[in-house]
Amino acid sequence: WYQRRVRGAELKEYELVGKPLSKTNETTPIYKMTIFAPDEVVAKSRFWYFLRQMKKVRKVNGEILRLSLRSNTSPTKIKNFGIWVRYDSRSGSHNMYREYRDVSRTGAVTQCYRDMAARHRARAHSIQIMKIESIKAGDTRRPLTKQMHDKKKEIPLPHRELKYTKKSMNVANRPSTKQ
Amino acid sequence: SSGINAEYGEIGNVCFIRLGENAGKTGVVEDLVDQKHLLIDGPDSGLARSVIRLNQIAITDLKVKIPRGCKTKVVRAALAKDDIPAKFLKSGLSKKSEAQQAKAALGDFARFKMRESKTAHNRKIRSTVRKLKKSS
Repeated sequence: WYQRRVRGAELKEYELVGKPLSKTNETTPIYKMTIFAPDEVVAKSRFWYFLRQMKKVRKVNGEILRLSLRSNTSPTKIKNFGIWVRYDSRSGSHNMYREYRDVSRTGAVTQCYRDMAARHRARAHSIQIMKIESIKAGDTRRPLTKQMHDKKKEIPLPHRELKYTKKSMNVANRPSTKQ
Repeated sequence: SSGINAEYGEIGNVCFIRLGENAGKTGVVEDLVDQKHLLIDGPDSGLARSVIRLNQIAITDLKVKIPRGCKTKVVRAALAKDDIPAKFLKSGLSKKSEAQQAKAALGDFARFKMRESKTAHNRKIRSTVRKLKKSS
């Protein structure tokens, strides 16, 4: 049954397998793709979008053999993900390598989309996730990822503005921001 | 003291969750995801091993010694060894949270009684102060 899509929810990883239909009874090649999408409808749409760009097959002339939802392996283990992205900026197309720390591939890819939107104003339709790989700590390239590999790492909590406290706006003394 | 550590979030710190579906539970920081997320585990308070945001928790001054990203049973053993649940119950955080829970669980009659007793108490104080002002 179709699950109602929640805006801002984490993407899901789908594996899609499809092939062009043949007019004669010859066998046609079968293609497999990993798509990160919020639901099955978008997953299928993106599958045909990419396949059309690479091979001479369109949704009308093809069929999807399998669409399966990939679950996240080890969702309580923190991993370093390297994501190779291709995106369209206002003046051209660029490749990028980005790194994210997360417990799941889908979490990392979702972070990537948010990050690309924030840093490069790239909308989801202009982003292509080319590859995502879990990377060993020693092979990471970005300082933001590398800094979390220190065992003795402390996160300083200098100025905490906390939501659970409903402090009044009319107070005699300046409120403390120490937790 | 309130039992809240204001300085750092690091591996082994015992945390108290204030926001979200796990509010009221305690857990131990097992690993740091990034500047704003922690991997937390609270086997003794029914908190499953999960990622949590820093702004959902209060970091207490209790700490256990655990290796980074260890298994839940290691955390359970470390908590039992330092007797953290008992120590946490003594802290100001725990008492405050219990008081808040008790207040939220009050029925209508109990709230009425509280209101009446508070009014009577304040009335007594105010009348005494007024008498002292008049006599001075």
